[in-house]
Amino acid sequence: MRSFRHPSLWTFLLYTCLTLPAWPQTHHKNPYSSAEHLEEGKKLYELNCGVCHGLDGASGRGARLATRSHRYGNTDTEMFQTILNGIPGTAMPGLWLDEDSVWKILLFVRTLEPSAENPCAPDPGDASAGQALFTQKGNCAGCHRASMGGGRLGPDLRDLGLNQTRGQVRDALFRPNEKVSKRYRTVRVSDQDGKQFEGVLMNEDDYTLHMMDRQENVHSFFKPDLQRIGRPSQSLMPGYQEVFTTEELDNLLAYLCGLDSKPGVRK
Amino acid sequence: MKRCWLIVLLAAVASAQVTQQDLLNADKTPERWLTYNGNYEGHRHSALKQITTSNAADLRLKWVFQKPFKHKFETTPLVVDNMMYLTVPPNEVYAVDSATGSEIWRYVRELPPKIIACCDLVNRGLGLLGDRLFMATLDAHVIALDRKTGAVLWEKEMTDYRRGYSGTLAPLIVKDKVLVGSAGGEYGIRGFIDAYNIEDGKRLWRFHTTPGPGEVGHETWAGDSWKTGGASIWVTPSYDPEENLTYWGVGNPGPDWNGDVRMGDNLFSDSVVAIDPDTGKRKWHFQFTPHDVHDWDAVQVMVLVDREYKGRRRKLLITANRNGFYYVLDRVTGEFLHASAFVKQTWAERIDEKGRPIRVPGKEPTEDGNHVYPTVGGGTNWMSPTYSPLTGLFYVTAMEGGSMYYKGPADYSPGTRFWGGRFVNEHVNDDWYGAVRALDPLTGEKVWEHRTFKPAWAGLLSTAGGVIFAGTDDGYFKALDAKTGKQLWYLNLGGGVRASPITYSTKGNQRVAIAAGNGLFVFGLPE
Repeated sequence: MRSFRHPSLWTFLLYTCLTLPAWPQTHHKNPYSSAEHLEEGKKLYELNCGVCHGLDGASGRGARLATRSHRYGNTDTEMFQTILNGIPGTAMPGLWLDEDSVWKILLFVRTLEPSAENPCAPDPGDASAGQALFTQKGNCAGCHRASMGGGRLGPDLRDLGLNQTRGQVRDALFRPNEKVSKRYRTVRVSDQDGKQFEGVLMNEDDYTLHMMDRQENVHSFFKPDLQRIGRPSQSLMPGYQEVFTTEELDNLLAYLCGLDSKPGVRK
Repeated sequence: MKRCWLIVLLAAVASAQVTQQDLLNADKTPERWLTYNGNYEGHRHSALKQITTSNAADLRLKWVFQKPFKHKFETTPLVVDNMMYLTVPPNEVYAVDSATGSEIWRYVRELPPKIIACCDLVNRGLGLLGDRLFMATLDAHVIALDRKTGAVLWEKEMTDYRRGYSGTLAPLIVKDKVLVGSAGGEYGIRGFIDAYNIEDGKRLWRFHTTPGPGEVGHETWAGDSWKTGGASIWVTPSYDPEENLTYWGVGNPGPDWNGDVRMGDNLFSDSVVAIDPDTGKRKWHFQFTPHDVHDWDAVQVMVLVDREYKGRRRKLLITANRNGFYYVLDRVTGEFLHASAFVKQTWAERIDEKGRPIRVPGKEPTEDGNHVYPTVGGGTNWMSPTYSPLTGLFYVTAMEGGSMYYKGPADYSPGTRFWGGRFVNEHVNDDWYGAVRALDPLTGEKVWEHRTFKPAWAGLLSTAGGVIFAGTDDGYFKALDAKTGKQLWYLNLGGGVRASPITYSTKGNQRVAIAAGNGLFVFGLPE
């Protein structure tokens, strides 16, 4: 009986298996770029991708596509393979689409990413001064994590610069109630004794409700025991339009747009 | 002594076999669970009564069967004596000890890499007769397995899966035939119902659910749209042996949200069709949603009951439809008798005396989106309802809420999505929730409801102990009082319930089984 015992042979076979594309691919760069092809790609995206990933690439149950850091690779070749063949063992299926259609979808997906034309630009502004504002005057770090320290109540911002444009970050600072993510909805409850609690809703089902209050205490409630459950539309985040000067805002945006780490994500 | 052994042997052989007569009399052997819905009438009701409204609070976990997969677990197991047979996603079959959950054999189907399925790689169960099990596969085949070993006995291709066809339903076995159909209504398939010989898998007949030239209903499709009209089959039918008719719920017309390319009523999409299982001939049909543009398949289980209706005993077919209305039909003739909304709906002013909806103008999908109730998932969906002969009530998993429906281009390409638009589920205020609803089967009036925080995708089981079993998307499995809806017991199973429960008995002890998350959970009383 023959056996493969040579380690380099195993390494070669493993490498070959891992690096061979699962499907033939003519191009390594997207051959399409015109507005017409982009429109075709948008339609294909809406049909094939939008239900899970959201039309904006950020609001669906699928992975966030409005980012510069895709989990399974950022290059055109990697993205092409992901779209065409799916990701085994996940809900991401392969698509029975021709190569041209996949490239057109990718052309549109690239427009969802904070791009070179519309980035989370660190300029203008002084990022160091912005960091000080983040931790001191703005007290942003009381609720958000931007480095190893920081709060837990609001979204983790360590990869903000990869996912948002500068305009989106500014909007979130000025008008936090306009778009409140499902994960950070506010909830107010009164328990059996009439005691009031307010915080971010962490989970809710038929019987239980979990909330993190402003002091980061996690409360578990048995819903039948609650007198009242209120769901205000306002976010717990205050608006910062009146808090910072124009220069301070630039500094803060410079700091936030420079946040580009996401522990645990393969780059 | 020899004679004694012979009797034991004969008894063992007899118990191992499941005959057509056994399937006809499934209600009389409640220790078994022989068909998808427990009996041919689609009741999902059991005569077992060890678990009652008085002791359901004592229910305990008896065993769990787990497998690593990342798909929805929609299976309904079958139970014969000490054996349970179940499918596991994507297309595996297991035989386990019904008392302990110990694995006895497995069949793992090697599937091609690119299965085309709209809504995850799922399977809802098996058919069973004699010493054989039957399964419809995701690559559009029908297979027969040996019940004792899992060996493949025959395998037949229904059609080319690469064009969007797939098998997800549990087959129904009637006489010498395996009855199945094809899913794929989102891929421009031409739907069909098939019958295969249980012995060798030879295809005996095919009924197309989008009629071709010269067939009844062909005129309800503009141009060639019948060729890509969908009307898929993905839920097990019911069967009336006296009438010798099978009752099939048929899926949506394709493309889903752009009806302009398929003008007409689009028969037999969104219909129930009564088919003679011997010949494949249609006796009658009733269309719930003519020219559907909201993806409201009529794939709900058709429940068959014999009741006094307006002064005379009638053979009825009752069903809560995805379009939000509850219907009562005469199942001998297909005559429409009654319809009433069982969830909030905004698309129809009423159902007329012939059973045809009078539509509210301006509720079709548009390019900018149109908000309509119920959701694209419908007032209910494929999960089984139950009918209890004890309470005389019909129980359904109701889903409240609306969707935004968008119309888009409808260009057909084989094997790709043929949707003609899209949808977004909009959660407006607090009107997005679920409920187990008990309905008067003759009037559709609500008798009680048990609300769930989210719409649930789990079916229901009723028992002679007066208990209704239900599940939720959040992973709760519950027991309710069938008369009042009072909650008797619940447990978090740690994974969403996307299946319908069954009950059986092992060594004299009643068990209740439900698939949830990655496991099959089996409950019973303390012993």
